[in-house]
Parts: sequence; structure tokens; C-alpha cells
Amino acid sequence: MGTRSSHVAVIPDVDDIRRDTGFSQASLLRLYHRFRALDRNKKGYLSRMDLQQIGALAVNPLGDRIIDSFFPHGSQCVDFPGFVRVLAHFRPIENEDPGTRDPKQPEPLNSRMNKLRFAFQLYDLDGDGKISRQEMLQVLRLMVGVQVTEEQLESITDRTVQEADEDGDGAVSFLEFTKSLEKMNIEQKMSIRILK
Amino acid sequence: MSHQLKGLEKEAGGGVRGRARSGHPHPGDRSGRRPSTKRTSKAKGSRVQHGVQPSQKERPGGSPRPGSPRRKPMDRPARRSRPEGLRRLERSSVEERTCQGRRKRDGRTSFKEQRAHPKKEKEVVGKELKKPRSSSLVSSTSSDESLSEEELARILEQVEEKKKLIATMRNKPWPMAKKLTELREAQAFVENYEGALGKGKGKRLYAYRMQMAKKWVKFKRDFDNFKTQCIPWEMKIKDIESHFGSSVASYFIFLRWMYGVNLVLFGLIFGLVIIPEVLMGVPYGSIPRKTVPRAEEAKAMDFSVLWDFEGYIKYSALFYGYYNNQRTIGWLRYRLPMAYFMVGVSVFGYSLMIVIRSMASNTQGSTGEGENDNFTFSFKMFTSWDYLIGNSETADNKYASITTSFKESIVDEQESNKEENVHLTRFLRVLANFLIICCLCGSGYLIYFVVKRSQEFSKMQNVSWYERNEVEIVMSLLGMFCPPLFETIAALENYHPRIGLKWQLGRIFALFLGNLYTFLLALMDDVHLKLANEETIKNITHWTLFNYYNSSGWNDSVPRPPLHPADVPRGSCWETAVGIEFMRLTVSDMLVTYITILVGDFLRACFVRFMNHCWCWDLEAGFPSYAEFDISGNVLGLIFNQGMIWMGSFYAPGLLGINVLRLLTSMYFQCWAVMSSNVPHERVFKASRSNNFYMGLLLLVLFLSLLPVAYTIMSLPPSFDCGPFSGKNRMYDVLQETIENDFPTFLGKIFAFLANPGLIIPAILLMFLAIYYLNSVSKGLSRANAQLRKKIQALREIEKSHKSVKCRASNSENRSKHQNDTQLQLTKEEPMPLSASQCQTLDKKTGNTATSSSARKIPQPASRHLTGSQPLGVKPDAGQSQPQTHPFRSATGKSIQRTPR
Repeated sequence: MGTRSSHVAVIPDVDDIRRDTGFSQASLLRLYHRFRALDRNKKGYLSRMDLQQIGALAVNPLGDRIIDSFFPHGSQCVDFPGFVRVLAHFRPIENEDPGTRDPKQPEPLNSRMNKLRFAFQLYDLDGDGKISRQEMLQVLRLMVGVQVTEEQLESITDRTVQEADEDGDGAVSFLEFTKSLEKMNIEQKMSIRILK
Repeated sequence: MSHQLKGLEKEAGGGVRGRARSGHPHPGDRSGRRPSTKRTSKAKGSRVQHGVQPSQKERPGGSPRPGSPRRKPMDRPARRSRPEGLRRLERSSVEERTCQGRRKRDGRTSFKEQRAHPKKEKEVVGKELKKPRSSSLVSSTSSDESLSEEELARILEQVEEKKKLIATMRNKPWPMAKKLTELREAQAFVENYEGALGKGKGKRLYAYRMQMAKKWVKFKRDFDNFKTQCIPWEMKIKDIESHFGSSVASYFIFLRWMYGVNLVLFGLIFGLVIIPEVLMGVPYGSIPRKTVPRAEEAKAMDFSVLWDFEGYIKYSALFYGYYNNQRTIGWLRYRLPMAYFMVGVSVFGYSLMIVIRSMASNTQGSTGEGENDNFTFSFKMFTSWDYLIGNSETADNKYASITTSFKESIVDEQESNKEENVHLTRFLRVLANFLIICCLCGSGYLIYFVVKRSQEFSKMQNVSWYERNEVEIVMSLLGMFCPPLFETIAALENYHPRIGLKWQLGRIFALFLGNLYTFLLALMDDVHLKLANEETIKNITHWTLFNYYNSSGWNDSVPRPPLHPADVPRGSCWETAVGIEFMRLTVSDMLVTYITILVGDFLRACFVRFMNHCWCWDLEAGFPSYAEFDISGNVLGLIFNQGMIWMGSFYAPGLLGINVLRLLTSMYFQCWAVMSSNVPHERVFKASRSNNFYMGLLLLVLFLSLLPVAYTIMSLPPSFDCGPFSGKNRMYDVLQETIENDFPTFLGKIFAFLANPGLIIPAILLMFLAIYYLNSVSKGLSRANAQLRKKIQALREIEKSHKSVKCRASNSENRSKHQNDTQLQLTKEEPMPLSASQCQTLDKKTGNTATSSSARKIPQPASRHLTGSQPLGVKPDAGQSQPQTHPFRSATGKSIQRTPR
């Protein structure tokens, strides 16, 4: 690594970002390098195109949804703080956190709720806070491809909605989403160890 | 090092590992995140490097007294990184100054960083004692070597103080939150320093222990991965499971299990019988039973003869007849006949034990699970994709497995929701069972008839080819046509495919029993025939030897050389004949299976695939199409084959070696055949989690195959001139002989006493009583279990319906309020650009839930959020309209909070 670029100081607003996301300096530095590597023409932000070129995302049926989550409210670019903030959802939860955290501070981005919220957004295509039947169908189609008949897909969606829906509005709200995944070990599943 | 980071951090490490876990139905299991550890530790190292020098001024005002609990516990997380820290100390001293300067410039350091400092300092002090420390603050906790008496005492005092604080926390007039934090900190402090206060190098030891703990965790994770890799064929089976569903995979799992069992049995027989005989027994050609007779010598090496297991193979250690009846062999004085008998018994003993044990463990596992029935589809829908997959092949597998699992669930679902005419179904089921019983009876009679005829034929001379092979032809015709017939009839019953499979298995099993029965019957006839002839042969042998030695025309001065073993007339050795019969059967069975697969599946698939272009109808969708994997046939084939092995292994010890080879090849061959030329079933269904049904059938077959062997051992006399038990009246006499000759007499008495019927019958009675008692207890428990589960389900249903009714009612009246809320939120939108839309949607929903029912609120510390968000410049009315929103509000709260700082 180069002598200058290896220092955290090259990242603008590094302390703010750290306070926000809880990343260590080293992770931030690595993320920053990654950010710059993705940013092809050194424009200082990432566009959709930059993210779409990642090969591993292309095989993911929800790859587009993941990319979308980097661009809130239809903006076309994401700067480094935004980039890190999204990835902060995947920081593992440390055991010591609850004891030492200042109760006045807001929940960290990597809390269970925020992890769930991130997952929820992947399914909530129009962002209205509910996963409707249509949205579920759409995601399902992405996930299983053409091998299942439309009829079966619909029955799956109906069953899912029926299972998770508690207030009878035919859609899954975030609360219901949380409830249905209550037993799932989200903290562990949605953590990437390298993002310490 | 940062360049190693590939993809978004998300995909890092997904490539290789994701592939390895291909098709695993549960995404993101624990082993998943392994590859990242290296990076983590590196990252830590560099973090340590940067945050070296703390200074007291930077400490937040939170800690009032020096050495207060406030900062001590924070050492804990950082401690773990000590090893890296220590290593970098030399370098860090230079950087310290710059770091310090920068930090001062920054003025505010993050909370986390501050945590790291005190410990860092301690490390430094601990390492380099002479280095003068500007900050005296932590000196009390510096390393052990430097600890003076007074410092030690001070720490001790502090620990005591903390302990006292913990004890009296209850009485302090503090707010609850403060009490909580103080308590936690005090506890952490005590935990930390009590270890460190140990004698001598306690602190080093502590650091060492932490490091070891970390290494241990990593090792355990690696070991788990390694263990998964060591499970044979796991990848293949997972691959099949992802494409063909768990039912097909269950066959392969069963096959693997069977392979393991056979390997153990093979080891037993090979290690305790064959190897000692080959190494220490008298060599080939020394005695008649180990020599090919003169009449067969010419052809003994021909392939056609060897293929029938005659010739040299017949007179080898692979068969019963080769073994000598010497009590002990070799310099080890190995008691071979005894070992032979005991191994024969323990083959059955081990098999029984392992089958029953695995059945028991399967049932234990199945009762504990099955509570997540409520959200099957939600789980599948929301969490089935593994986001760490970065490899396209793995992704394909994952697609397939998700699809399959969905299909399985659909079938289950359809079955559980099926409503139809109960009477009709019942009638049809009775009818189907009636028809099938008719079929079974018919085929049973047919077999009986044919066997009778064949016995007549065997007495006649010059019978035709058909008449000689009539039994086999009829049997295989039955085996070919009955299963499809049963399947057709079973369609009437309209069972769930999983249950249908069980019925089908049971019925074909009954049919195959006929097969087994005729085979055994024919064999027994043969044996009795040979036994009847034995007496005459024995006389002939005696006479031959007698005449040979006493005949005139030999010079009496020179002792006569013994008769060449090949020339000695000998008996037919029915044991070896039985062994050969089983051997042939196993080999031919294997060949038939492989050829069927090759022709019926592979060639058919090739034909359909390549001729489809130039054919008048659609071959793939129409008549021949591709074959489905025949689960029932394969499972039963495996089970009956195992039965043959169990029956035959006593008379042909080499049979297990053949079987191990067979299972090994069939694993690879069938895996390949399934993946290359079969299509998934039309209705993929989920196999029951325990394949206890297979095990039950296996147990039955084991029992059935135990009977004839036990019969021959207990009631037939062994051949007089071959095998380890020759010369004895019954085979089990070898036990008695050993007890009399090799054990002290009192042991013999004890055995005799134990064999007393007066003792055995009460013991058996007692066992029956115990079985009855345990059985009824377990039944009662499982009934209670089922009832509780039902209750939970009912409770949930009630809650759900209740809520939906309430919600609908409140929905309409809320609509107007809703809109107000939304308006409010819209005004709020500007200050928080990131998650404004979230907020909006949340608020909408809050309006819903807040009015509908308060019971559903997530028990979240509402006050915390209030205090967190209120001073942040959010409009007070907005905050009050949803005083206790949702936990995820905090995300928005956070982004707001950033600005005022």
C-alpha cells in the first residue's frame, strides 16, 4: 500500500462516519479503497453503473434490489458516507455493545431492527412500508425463475401473505415481517465478519 | 491489504466458500463467515497502531473520579487485540506523536476510539517499563511486573469497592438507567481485574488466555468446516437434493449409511477371520479342504468357472469350507473356530444394535422439531437466498434448491388443504387395499405352485431350459409387472406422496418376501439333500483311506507317503454351496441393477434427447420421456441385498468385501445416472425427516435373515470334512468346548447356571414388562406433546382473526387521520434526507397500530427513544403523534442527530 493513501486521514469526515457507523479505522480504510476502486472515473461518487459491474452481484436474483438500496429516493449517486452507511448494516453485533453504549445515543445501524429493515426494503419495491402481494410475486419470480408455474407462484405468495399478515390488509407490514422472522437468527445471518 | 477486498464487502469470501456449500437449503449458517477472520485480525492490528496514545484531556466528562468504573470496563473489548498491539509497539512509538497531534486537532474522538486508549497505554507500560508515562491515570492498572505493593493493594481495594457497590446498588438513589450502567461497569471491572490480580504473571496469563480463547473459537470454526468436508459424498448428495428434492436424497443418505455399516462389518470379518487365516493357517494345498480336487483341477482356472465362484475361488478363504477345525492356529495360538463363530454372531449383533440405535435417535430428533410450521413460507420467501453466493454455478444450484423446496412445500400445503368426500376416499382406499391383497395372494400362490413344480422337475431327467429356470422367470416377471400395477392401484387411494411411498414400499416388500421365501426354500431342500448324502460319502472316504494305507503291493520297509490331498474323496460341503449361492445372487443382482440403469435410464435419456429432432411426436413430453428416479424400487433393492449379505456372510466371509465394493460403485454410478439422465418427480415431496420407515424395513429384513442362519447353526450338523466346525455335532459346540477347556471351572458353572430356563424365562418376562411400561410412557408423552402444539396453533389462529377483525374496523375510521399524519411527516422531511420516506411510511402505519390495539406494541423502551429524539429539533407535535413508534425509528433519529453536533 502506498504511504499516503494508507492513512485514514485521506477520507473526508472520517470521524463523523466512524461515529455514525461504528466501523474501525482499518475497515473504513479498506472500504474507502474499495469505494475508489469501484468509482471508475474518479468522480467522487458511485453511480448505478459502477455497482452493476460487480460480477458477483449479477448472479444474485435480488442484485438490482441491493443496488437500489444504495440509492435512496431515486438519487443517482452515492458518496462515501452513504456507501459506508449501507454497509454498516452488515457489521456484526458486538456483545459488549449494549453494556457500554450510551443509552442516549440512537440504536446503531447494525442493530437487529435495522438489519431487518434493510432486508425488508429489498422486498418493498415501491417503498410504501408494506410488502404487497404484487411485490412478493415479483421478487419470487426473480428467485425461482421460470421453473414454477404462475399458478404455483401465486399460491406461494398467497400462503406467505396469509401466514405473515396479521391485520388482514393483504400485505406484509414491517411489523409483521419482524414477527414472522422472530425465530430467525438475523443478527448472525446478516453480519459479515470482515466488517468489524 | 485493502485491495483484497473484492466486490462489495458483502460478496467477499462468497466465491469459494459459497460454492462449497452449494445447494445447502439453509443459507448463511454459522460456518459461513469464516474466510474473513484473517482480515479482521489485520484490521485490528492496524487500528491499534493508530490509536496509541491517549490523553486524559480527551476523556469525556462522564467519569468523575480517577479510577472510576467508567473507563475500566472499556478495556475489555480492546484487550483481545493485544497480541497484535504488542507486536507493533516498536513501530508505534514513532507514530505516537503524530497521532497525538492529530487527535488534538480533531478535538473530538469517537466513543469507540476513546475506549481503546487506556488499554493501549497499559500495554505499552507493561511492555516497556522504563518508558516514562505522562498520564499517571492508568498507572494503577499497569502491568504486573511493575506493580508495587501499594498499587496492588489499590486495585484490590477498588475491586472490593466495586463489589460493595454491586451489593448495595439497590439502595442508591439513582435513576434506573444509571444504576444499570453502573452495575454493568462494576461487574465488568471486577471480572477483568480479579483475573489480573492473580499471583505473579496473572495478567500475562490473562492476555494469553484471551488469545487462546480467540484461537480456540477460530479453530472450532475451521474444524466444523473440516468436519463437513469430511462427510463422504456430502456435496454430491446436496447437489442431488437441490435438484431432485429431499426424497431422492434420502435414498442416497440411506445408501451412505448402509455403506458405513457394511464397512464396519467388513472390518470385523476381514480383521478377525480372513487375515488370521491367511497369515497363520495352514497354507493352500496342505489338506484336502484347502485343495482343488483332482477332477476339477483342469478347469479350475478358467474364467467361466471362476465367474461361477467355482475352482480356485471356491477353495479359498472367501468361503466357509476353506477353514480348518484346528483349535488354535499360528504362534499366537489364535482360536480361529471360536473367532469365526463369535464374528458370525457379532455381525448380527452389531447390525441389530446400529439399526435400532439409529431408529431411536431419529425418533428423538423428530419430536423436538417441527415447531416452526407457522412461518414456513415466510422463512422460505424472505431468507432462502444466500447473499454470500458470488459464483454463478452455486447460484444455479441455489435457484434449483429454492425452487425444489418451494415445490415441496406446495405439495404439503395442497395435501393439508385438500377437502373431499371422506366416504368416497375411504371406499376407494378399501377397494385399493383389497385389490392389492388379491394381487399379493395371487402372486404368492403362483410362486408356491411354481416351486412345487420345480421340485418335481428336479427329480426328472432331461428337463428343458424353460422348465429348469421356470422359478426365476416367474419371479422376475412378477417383480417387473407388479410394482407398476401397485402404483396404478395406489392412484385410487389419493394419498400424500410421502405416505403413498410408504404404502408402495410396504406392498412391494410383501411381494419380494415371496422371492426370498422361495429362494430359501430351494436352498434348504438342497442342503437337506446334501446332508442325507453325507453319511455315505463319509464312509467312502474312510474306506478309500483305509484301503490306500492297507493295500498290498507296497514296500513295507518304506513308510507310505500320505495320499495327495487332491485325491482324497470328500463331501459336498453344503455350507460352501450356500455361500456360493449367495455370492452369485449378489453379483448378478448388482449387474442387473447396473444394466437396468444403463439401458433403462441412460440409453433412454440419450435416445429421447437426440432423436427428438427427427421424430413424429414430442419424445420428451410424450411417451418415452425421461425416467424418474424410482425411490421405492431402489430402497427395496438395497434392503433385500443387505438381507442377502447378512444371511450369506456366515458361509462366505468374502461376501462383505464384494458388497462394500458394490455399494461404493453404486454410489458413484447412481449419483451420475440420476444427475445425467433422470428428471425430478412431477410432485416433488419432502421426505420425512427421519427415514425410520426404511430403517423399519431393514430391521424386519434383518430379523428375517437372522432366522435361517440361526436355524442352520442351531439344528443342522456341520459338514464332516470342511469348515472350522467340522467334526462337531453342532456348530455352537465350539462355545462349550472353549468354556470347558480355556476357562476356569467355576466360570463354566456360572454359564451353566445362566443357561437355566428357570432364570431365562423370568428375565424375558421382566424385559417384556419394561418394554410395555416404557412404551406406554412414551405414548403418553407424545400425546401431550401433540396436544400442546395444537393448543399453540389454535391460540395463534384466534389472535390472528381477532386482530384482523379489529383492524378492518379501525382501518376505515383512521383513513382521515392517516392523511393528516402523512402531511405532518411531509413537513418533517427536509431535515432528514436519508430516511424521510421510511419515516413517512412508518408514521402511516403507526396511525394504524396505535389506534387498533395496544397489545401488539413491541415492548420497546419507549422512553429511550423519546429522550433520544426529542431534543433533536424534530417538531414536537410529530414526536408526540407517535410517542412510541417502532424501534427502527432510531435509524432516522440517528441521521438527524448527526447535524446538531
